[in-house]
Parts: sequence; C-alpha cells; structure tokens
Amino acid sequence: MAEIQVENLKVVYRGVILALQGVSLRAGAGEAVALLGPNGAGKSTLVRSLAGLLPQYDGRVLDGRILLNGQESHHLPALKVASLGLTAILEGRPIFRYLTVVENLRAAGHKLPPERQKAITEEIFTRFPRLYERRFEQGGYLSGGEQQMLLLGMALLTEPKILVVDEPSLGLSPKLTEEVMRVLDELRRDKGLTLLLVEQNAKAAFSIVERVYVMEQGRIVFEGTSQEAQADADVMEFYLGGAAAGGFAEAKRYRRRKRWV
Amino acid sequence: MDLALNLQTALNGLANGALYAVIAAGFVLVYRATSVVNFAIAEFLLIGAYLTYTFSLFLPLLPAILLALPLAFAFGVLVERVFVRPLLGRNVVAVIMATIGLASALDGATLLIWGPDQKAMGTADAFQLPKEVPNLALRLGEVFLSSKAVWSLILALPLALLLIAMLKYSRYGILLRAISESETAALALGINAPRVVAVAWGISALMATVGGAFLAGAAGGGGPGHHLILLGLVVFPVAILGGFDSVPGAVVAGLLIGLIEAFSQLYLESLLPGITQAIPFLIVLLVLLFRPYGLFGQHRIERV
Repeated sequence: MAEIQVENLKVVYRGVILALQGVSLRAGAGEAVALLGPNGAGKSTLVRSLAGLLPQYDGRVLDGRILLNGQESHHLPALKVASLGLTAILEGRPIFRYLTVVENLRAAGHKLPPERQKAITEEIFTRFPRLYERRFEQGGYLSGGEQQMLLLGMALLTEPKILVVDEPSLGLSPKLTEEVMRVLDELRRDKGLTLLLVEQNAKAAFSIVERVYVMEQGRIVFEGTSQEAQADADVMEFYLGGAAAGGFAEAKRYRRRKRWV
Repeated sequence: MDLALNLQTALNGLANGALYAVIAAGFVLVYRATSVVNFAIAEFLLIGAYLTYTFSLFLPLLPAILLALPLAFAFGVLVERVFVRPLLGRNVVAVIMATIGLASALDGATLLIWGPDQKAMGTADAFQLPKEVPNLALRLGEVFLSSKAVWSLILALPLALLLIAMLKYSRYGILLRAISESETAALALGINAPRVVAVAWGISALMATVGGAFLAGAAGGGGPGHHLILLGLVVFPVAILGGFDSVPGAVVAGLLIGLIEAFSQLYLESLLPGITQAIPFLIVLLVLLFRPYGLFGQHRIERV
C-alpha cells in the first residue's frame, strides 16, 4: 500500500496560466479520498501532475512537491511515476478506440509476464462478464459503462498501488454510475489500493470515500470526512444542487455564501 | 494478346511493387506512430542503398545487405531522437519543414561521402568472395523472371507481410497502435512511448534499406545513385493510395502501382513516352478526388 502527499503545489500552463495555486492534499495508504469541484477548478491538472503528464499539456510544476509513498515524484516523467505504482485513469475515458477489448488489456498489461497477464485478464473477465462477451470488438464500439469497466480492467493490469480516477461517472446514467462506484470500491478493498477519486458527482463519490477535498479556482477550499462534507451546507448546496437555481439574486447569494474563496 | 508476356509483365510488376510496398509500409508505420510525414523517406532509401554498396566493396552482397540493416535501424532511431522527437507537439508545418530540411541535408551528405556518380554494386571484393547475390532468375515456360524480381518477391514481400502481422499480433504492434491513438493515455499506463516510436523509425529505415538495396541493383540492374530519390518519391502515391495510415493498404497499393507501372511500360510507353513515371501520381490525383481516405484508410469509429 502507498500514500499520496501533495504539498503546496503550484502548476502553470504555457508559463502563464496558473492552474493550481498551492494545493495540499493527502491520501493515506489504502484510503479512498474524493476530490470534488466544478469545471475549471484544477482537478484534472492535479491528476496530470500526479501522473507526471504535465509536459504533455505544456504545463510544469512551479512550486511545491508531490510525494508518492515518501518519494518525490513531481519532477519525474510519466514512465517513472508509473513505475512507482501510480496509475491514472484520465478524464474522457481514454481507451484505445481502434484496439479490441483484448488488445486494450494486452497493451495495459504489457509489462507483466504472460502467465500473470493471463491470470489478471481472467479475473477481469470474471468481474466484468460483458467485457468477455465483447472481447473481440473495438473499444470505440463499447457503451460508456463498458468503456469505464475496460479502463478499470486496464488499470488492474498495471498492478497499481495507487489509483487516480478522473471523472469516471461522466456521461453515465445514475444506475451505471452506481455500478462503477461499487466496482471501484470493491477493487480498492480487494487489492488494498489507495484511491483518489476525482469527481463532479459528489453524491456518487460520497458513497465510497472516507475523506473529501473540495477544489475551487486552483485551491483546496474544503477538507473533511465524507460525513463532515455531507453535513456542510456549502458543500451540499454547491455540489449536490441544494440551492434553488437561477436569477441574479441567487447568483449574488451564491457569491456571498461562497465565503471560502 | 500474348498471355505469357502479360503474365511475365504482371509478375515483374508485382516484384517491383513489392519493393515499393516494403518501403511504403515502413513509411506508413512512422506516420501511424507519430503522425509525422517523413519527407526524407527517399533519402532513407538512398542511404540504405549506399550503406549496402559500401559493405559490398568488402563482402558479398547478401551479407552486405544484412550488415547494412542494423546500421540503417540505428540511423532511423537517431533521426527520431535528434530531429523528430524535439519537434513533436509543435506546429505541424515545423515538423514538415524539419523532415524536408533533413532530406536536403541527407542529400548533401550522401553527395559529400559517396560523390555524384552512380556506383556499381560489388565491383571490388577485398576477400575475393562471390560478389553477387545468387542468381535466381527463373524461366517458367515462356515466362521469364529476372533474378531481381525473384529476390524482391521472396525477400521484400514477406518482409512487408511480416510487418503487417507484427503490427496486428505482436506485443510491440499492439503498443504501437495504442500510442498512435493517444501517446498520453499510453504513458499513463506506463507504456514506454518514446522507445516504441524510436523503434518504428528504425524499422522504417531498415525497410527502406531493403527496398533501396534492390531498387539500386543488389540483384542486378545498376547501382546506387541520386536517381534513387526519384524512385523513392513513388512512396507518396503508394501511401496515399493505400490510405496513408494503413500498413496493409500500403502493401496492397505498392503491388498495385508496381503492376500498373509494368503494364503502362508495356502498352503505353511507346504511345506516350514518360507515362510510366507519371502514372503513380496520376493515380493519386484520381484517388484524392474520389476516395480521399485512400483504398484502406482507417474508418472513424462513431457510435450512434
């Protein structure tokens, strides 16, 4: 088991756009932590930073550091980060659309010896029988839910210690979202993973995490247990839609109440 | 119509087409891996031919080709590391200009090293070993196949087919196809994308060497010279006809262009001198008009 520690992380894109303005966050070994926040809060930037993928987006760490199981990783390239046991499932369900299900799994498990790869693939097909049925179809033709299952299977084949999942519920029906969350929770418990779940769907995230962080405009604005988050009027209002929508007065009220920013 | 003559023309056309196919397959492989159009592919072919020629000064031609292959592979990897990788992700025009610049630089370098004259393969043999590749010329009834044609069919064509199989079934092929879709997603899964891409450039240079050595006359028919650059340019119509991103498409298109060239030589050249050289490019014009994605271009996956 491994832990994630982010200390005062500042990230800039193209040298000018400050996307993270001193983010600190921790996920203990084997813990499930959610990172919530609206669009543009900087959640995906944090995922990219954790995965060592900032250079791919013309970004870089300006200040602060990331520790994965005690080892500094914010200056490491993606391949080194992966070798430390962190696997990131990026937003937008990035399966390989022209590869079949089996080929996607082979690509993900390319580092494993064949027997190990076979054993894990069988486990994946047992967990997700639908993937087995569609194993020779191209990933692009799978439904959103099946693609998400495939991504989880691919992540399993990297034998991660830390799993970072960015917006797994995006575009899924409530029922499928529930199913994805159940599977994530099951995997975390079975494999002893440290899970950082990045979500906009707070309700879905609360169901499987122990602690919650909320991000706004590149900063952490709330930190607490899942229960504390659900008891917090602001978090509930802004992320579970508690407030009545619409109107200038509502917008002003929103700004006034958003005292954390 | 003379059936034997037509059959002979078809087989010789296929043999020449196999050389185009092997070069174009390598070219498309690089495009699949990096989305970079390697405008220096004709120079890759030229360098491969000159390397073979240089080794052929000391060794028989077959070992000379075999020795040239690893050097060509290393050359391809070097080009990727030095010229291409630093430019990936930049403006596409910058990458195009870089490969065009590379082509000019390689032209100049080959002129400096090997001079402007056309060479003859294996003219000197320091160890007095047999110079030529074994003569495999065949006569089947009235159909005659030159040694070059047989060598092309038994070496270049299987090599191109091997590349297709490798891309489809091997671990490396799957990783390369994955990277061609999203290098970022591949990196997130711990796939060593830079290494896979570099190997693709190496393979491309290696295949250009096989094509270049035989086009340049490793099995008879002249020797390396700058005329090879013109021959190498046929790769572009072949790749476009095949779909540009399809390695099997490139192989089929290579064979097709070889066939069309051969029959045009037989039937049209006397009526329209020079048509054989122009025909691949005329085909490209037609393909671009009616099938912009070529014969085997990848269909976009769209869920409805």
